[in-house]
Amino acid sequence: MPFRQINSKVVEAQVAPGRRLFSLRGAMIAYKGEVAFTPNVQGGQGGVGSMIGRRLAGEATPLMTVEVPPGSGGPGEAPYGTVLFGHGGHHVEVIDLTGDTLHVEADRLLAFDGTLEQGTVFLGSQGGVMGVVRGQMTGQGLFTTTLSGHGSVAVMAHGGVIRLPITPGRPVHVDPQAYVAHRGQVTNKLSTALGWRDMVGRGSGEAFQLELSGQGEVFVQASEEKL
Amino acid sequence: MLAVDLVGDTVRAKNGSMVAYEGRMSFKKLTGGGEGLRGMVTRRLTGEQMELMEVKGEGTCYFADRAGDINLVTLNGERLHVESGNLLCVDGSLHTGTTFTGLRGAAQGNGLFTTTVEGTGTAALTSDGPAVVLRVTPRFPLRVDPGAYVAHTGNLRQEFQTGVNFRTLVGEGSGEAFQMSFEGDGLVYVQPSERNTIGGDL
Repeated sequence: MPFRQINSKVVEAQVAPGRRLFSLRGAMIAYKGEVAFTPNVQGGQGGVGSMIGRRLAGEATPLMTVEVPPGSGGPGEAPYGTVLFGHGGHHVEVIDLTGDTLHVEADRLLAFDGTLEQGTVFLGSQGGVMGVVRGQMTGQGLFTTTLSGHGSVAVMAHGGVIRLPITPGRPVHVDPQAYVAHRGQVTNKLSTALGWRDMVGRGSGEAFQLELSGQGEVFVQASEEKL
Repeated sequence: MLAVDLVGDTVRAKNGSMVAYEGRMSFKKLTGGGEGLRGMVTRRLTGEQMELMEVKGEGTCYFADRAGDINLVTLNGERLHVESGNLLCVDGSLHTGTTFTGLRGAAQGNGLFTTTVEGTGTAALTSDGPAVVLRVTPRFPLRVDPGAYVAHTGNLRQEFQTGVNFRTLVGEGSGEAFQMSFEGDGLVYVQPSERNTIGGDL
């Protein structure tokens, strides 16, 4: 169920019967056909256990389930639905996953395929204390959301998004505030370039950088503001 | 977003505007925007604050500021006047300074001074929305809303115009009480958005 980009801020999703997708609650701007929107108390997939996990991790964003109710549509015609999503005038980037894992903040998710597996990871698991510090710097907090499997994700960003490939031996440095998401086998660490200039308030404003290395792709927004 | 390929040379960019880079880069704040002690004092006095950093290294560096659109201006020895808030990045070979603009600056909400860029090289400007470039010829002067003005190049004389009348005073103004008028020969960059200005409220 791929998303189709209508313009830089609106995506269109085809909803087929029996397949559902999750979206940010209230992000629907128009739809055609028979589509049901149900608030998703659990904040995504999984049962009550996953819900509690997300709540504790602060990665619970209000989501809704979008699906075509069974038995809808006239006699002899197949039920269908087309939904347009957009939110707050933010730019939307569609990311197609083919078996790999996307790391993204839950509040950046506009919509994603119901077939994708949703998870929560503790940032301290990669780099320990530095991972936690990194999370604070990037505004990710202590936890971040992962999506893996086959399907599409629509991610919101402030300003246009560029994709930078990460290959072994060619790490990419990103401003923590401009970081949106990353995919693939990537290790990230916070590198500091603190000098005496920063101490006396004469820093270049680039004292902290996120260094991503490995194999994958990083998404960077054209702004240093949060959503 | 702006991408700059560096091979050991330098560019000067707005403080904190780097969003990502590949390769090796070093960032150093330029005290006083690299204009020396005199430039620093002038900037302090004029309130035309501009914090620049020097970026040096090898690789590709990406710059962006508040999701603004990027406009590249190539300079061949002429002078570019730009609002300091709209200047994102300049070639290391270009010189920056300040000039007095007169009364229009005050209505524009940017103070009485503006930033100038001179030399040969490329400057990157940001604008809120894609900027349009308007040509001014001696026969056709141009009037611009001060809040939408971004930059200008060429041999232009600017004047400040008011359309304040009885209606404005009783609070029934059209919101276009102040305009900037450009005469001469040159190019003016205008953005499809208006900054908050004193004039804009009237």
